[in-house]
Amino acid sequence: MTQDTAARTADAPPKAPGETTGGLALRRFGQWSKEQYPLYILIALLIFAGLTSDAFFSSYNLSNLLLQVSVIGIVTLAQFLIVLTGGIDISVGAVAGLAGVLSAGLFGGGNTLLAVAVAIALGAAIGAFNGYLIAYRGLEAFIVTLGMLALGRGLVYAYTEGQPVSPHAADFRTIATTAIAGVPVLGVIWIALAVAVAFLVRRTVFGRRVYALGSSKEAAYASGVPVKGTMITVYVIAGVLVGFAGFLLAARIGAATPTGGDNYEIDSIAAVVIGGASLVGGRGRVLGAVLGTLIFGVISNLLVLLNVSTFLQDAFRGALIIFAMVLTTVQFTRRRRHRTAPTAQIAHS
Amino acid sequence: MSTMGAAASSASASSPPRTATFTLDGVGKVYPGVVAVSDVTLSGYPGEVLAICGANGAGKSTLAKLLAGQERPSSGRVIVDGYDGEITTPSAALDAGVLLMHQEPVIVDTFSIQENVWLTGLSSAGRRKPWQLVGGRERAERTRAALGVVGMRDADLGMPAGRLGPGPRQMVALSRSQVNEHRILLLDETTASTTEEHFKDVEALVRKEREAGATVVFVSHRMPEVFALADRIAVMRNGSLVDVVETADTTPDEIMTLMIGEAVMALEPPEPVSPDAAPTLLDVRGVSSGSACDISFSVREGEIVGIYGLVGSGRSSLARSISGHQRRETGTVRVRGREVHPHSPRAALREKIAYLSEDRRREGFVKDFDNAGNLTLSTLGSFSTGGVLNVRRERRRVARLTDEFQIKGGAERLTSSLSGGNQQKVCIAKVLESEPDVVVLDEPTKGIDVGARLNIYQIVRGLIERRKAVVVVTSEAEEALTLCNRVIVLRDGVIAGEFVSKTSTTDDLTRTALGGEIQ
Repeated sequence: MTQDTAARTADAPPKAPGETTGGLALRRFGQWSKEQYPLYILIALLIFAGLTSDAFFSSYNLSNLLLQVSVIGIVTLAQFLIVLTGGIDISVGAVAGLAGVLSAGLFGGGNTLLAVAVAIALGAAIGAFNGYLIAYRGLEAFIVTLGMLALGRGLVYAYTEGQPVSPHAADFRTIATTAIAGVPVLGVIWIALAVAVAFLVRRTVFGRRVYALGSSKEAAYASGVPVKGTMITVYVIAGVLVGFAGFLLAARIGAATPTGGDNYEIDSIAAVVIGGASLVGGRGRVLGAVLGTLIFGVISNLLVLLNVSTFLQDAFRGALIIFAMVLTTVQFTRRRRHRTAPTAQIAHS
Repeated sequence: MSTMGAAASSASASSPPRTATFTLDGVGKVYPGVVAVSDVTLSGYPGEVLAICGANGAGKSTLAKLLAGQERPSSGRVIVDGYDGEITTPSAALDAGVLLMHQEPVIVDTFSIQENVWLTGLSSAGRRKPWQLVGGRERAERTRAALGVVGMRDADLGMPAGRLGPGPRQMVALSRSQVNEHRILLLDETTASTTEEHFKDVEALVRKEREAGATVVFVSHRMPEVFALADRIAVMRNGSLVDVVETADTTPDEIMTLMIGEAVMALEPPEPVSPDAAPTLLDVRGVSSGSACDISFSVREGEIVGIYGLVGSGRSSLARSISGHQRRETGTVRVRGREVHPHSPRAALREKIAYLSEDRRREGFVKDFDNAGNLTLSTLGSFSTGGVLNVRRERRRVARLTDEFQIKGGAERLTSSLSGGNQQKVCIAKVLESEPDVVVLDEPTKGIDVGARLNIYQIVRGLIERRKAVVVVTSEAEEALTLCNRVIVLRDGVIAGEFVSKTSTTDDLTRTALGGEIQ
C-alpha cells in the first residue's frame, strides 16, 4: 500500500505501460541515433570528399588512408582507456617514438619478433611507471605524462642523435606492407584491437570498474572496486598499445625517425573527445574513438588531395579540434540542462 | 521534538492582513513528458513563514525554483511586490529581493568561510565592481555577526570551507541571508542535510527574518520542523496545490495525509532480542577511530542496533571504522567470532560487512551509471566467468532487484536522475546484494521524504527476518526508536547510555546525547 504511494508520487514516468518491445527498440534506436554526432560528421566529410576530389574514393587512396590512420588509431584506443578513468596521457607520442627507435635499434634490429617484444615491453614499463605515480602516489595524470613526454622525447634524440634508425631485419616492414584482399594488414590489426578494447570495456568486470571509477571514484571505492589496481592496469594496457603502435609506425616508414609520433598526443586526445568521450571520465564509447580517428584521418587525407600547404593543414586540424570541442559542449548542455540547471546558477544564488 | 511542537503554537498567532510580498498567479511548469507543477496560485505576506510541504516529486522544489527565477514558468506569472515585471531569471529574482537557499549548500570548497559568506557579492547582480577590493577588518566583523545568527560565531573565518561537515556547510550558506538584502527568503529543503541540533539555529534565523518583516518560504517534508516554524502550510501533491492551512488549525498527521493522499501507517518499535534467542554476530571491542573512543558493543543475529548521537559524537567514525572506510586506531572487531581487520571497503565486503554511506551522492552510487550498473557494482564477480560479464544473468538479477525494492525507472534509468528515496533504494539493494552478515547503515533516510522513508524503514526492518546484524547510525531520535531493537547513545566519542526502544522515549535519547542538560 505505502509502496504504491511512493511509486506514484516519485518524479517522471519511465515509459508508457503498454509499450511493446518493438516500440522500445525503436525508441532506443531514436535515443542512440540522437547521440551519434561523430558518425554524422564523418558521413558529411565523406560526402564532401567525394564531391571535391575524384581521387578520394579510389581504392589506392582508401587503402593509403587506412594505413595512415591505423597507427594513430591504436594510440587513440590507448588514450581512450585513460580518458575513461578521468586521466589524460600526453606522453603517448614520445613513448611511441621511443618504442619505435628502440625496437628498430636494440639488438641490431635483426629480429622482427624481438623488435615487437622490445616495443611492447617498453610501453608496458612506462605505462606501469605512469600508472604507479598516478594511482598509488596520487599525482595528476597531466603532470606525470608531461614529464614523461619530455623524458621520452629527450631519450629518443639522445639514442638516435637525430638520425633515423634503420633496422636490419628483412621482414621488419612486412606487417605494414602486406594486404589481405586489398585491405592493409595494419588496418585489420587496428580494427581487431578496437573490437578487443570494446569487448574489454563493455563486457568484462574490469571494464565496468573502469567506467565506475572514471565516473565517481569515491562511490566506486566504497562499492568495493579495487580503484588503484584497476587504474594502474589501464595505464599498463595503454602502454602496451602505444608501444606496439610505435613499432608499427617504424615498420610502416621502414625506419624509426626521431620525430616519429610527434603530435600523437594532440591527435589522439582530439579524436577521443570528438568521439564523444568526456575528459572528466566515465563516459565514452570505443566506436566514438574509432570514428574520431577516421574523421581526422579523412581531413588530413583530403587536405593533401586538395593540395593545401602542410602548414595550413596543421592549422585546419587545430581549428577542427576547437570546433569539435564546441560541438561536444553543445551536445552536453542540451542533454543535461534539466538536471543541472540549478547548480549552473551557482554564481547568482 | 516535543519542544518544537510547543514553539509552533506561539508562532502561529499572527494573521496576515497586508499586501502580498509575492504572488504565484496560476503558475505551471511542464518538462518534456512530466507536469511538475500545474496551475498553482499562492501568495506570501510580510513577516510570515509559509511552509510548502509535499512528498518527493510533488513539485514543491520546482515551485521554489519558479519563485527564485531558476526556472521559467510554462504558464502563469510570478510577481513580487515592488518589482516591475515577472520573475523569469535568477538575476530578476535577486533584484526583486528573492534569496534562495539550496538543499545542497552552494559552497566553494577552496574558499575560506568568510569568502563563502560573501560569495554572492561576486555575482554580477551584486553592486560590486570587479576592480573593487575584497576583505577588510569591518568585513570580518560583519562576517562574524552573520555567522553568529546561525550559531557559528566561533568559526575560524580563514579556514577553507571544504573542511566543514555537512551541517556547518549549510549554516555558512544560510548566514548569507544576513549580508544580502532580500524580502523573501526561500529555504529549499535546507535542513535536509543538517541534523537535529542545527535546527535550533535555523529556527533562530527564521525568527529573526520574520521580525524583520521578510517572508520566509520553507520547503520541507519534516513535520516537526514545519510545525515549529510555519504560520501557514501549503501542501503540494502530484504538482497541484492541495490545500493551504493555518498551522494552528491542523496536526502533523493531517498534513501527512494531505501529502500522500492517505493515512500514514506508523511502525511500532521492534521487540528487544533476548540474549539467548540468537548468537552474537558482530562484536566490537574497545574500538577507537577519529572522534570515537574505546567503544564496545555487540549485535545479535536478526537484531538492529541504533547508534544515536550529535554531530562529532563519533557515530560516523565508529560506523566507518567497522566497515573499512576509515582506519581503526585500536580495538578488535569480530564477525561470527572471527577477528577481522578490513583496511578497505573491498576487504570489509570480503569479511561480509557492508556499509551504506551517509553521503549518497559521493559514495552511494556512480553518477553516470544506470540502476543496473549501480545495483551490481559490488557483486560483479558473481555475474562473471573469468572476468567476462554474463550480461543475461546480470539483467535477470537486476530485474528481480528493481522489482523487489520497487525501484523507479527500472534497470535503465540513470540513478542520479531519481528521487532521493529511489536512489537510496538502489544503494541499499546494492549493499544487500553482497549478502553481508553485518549491515552498517549510516543515516539511511537522510534527505528522503515521508512516503519513501516508510519504504526504507520496511526494508531495514525486513533485515531482522534475513538474520542480519544491523547497525543503524542516525541523528534522529525518533528514527532510532522506530527502527532499532536497542539504541546506543554516543556523547563526545564514548557510550553515554543504552536504551531498549520499546520502553524508551525520544526525550531519553536526546537528553543522554546532550549530557543531561535541559534543552
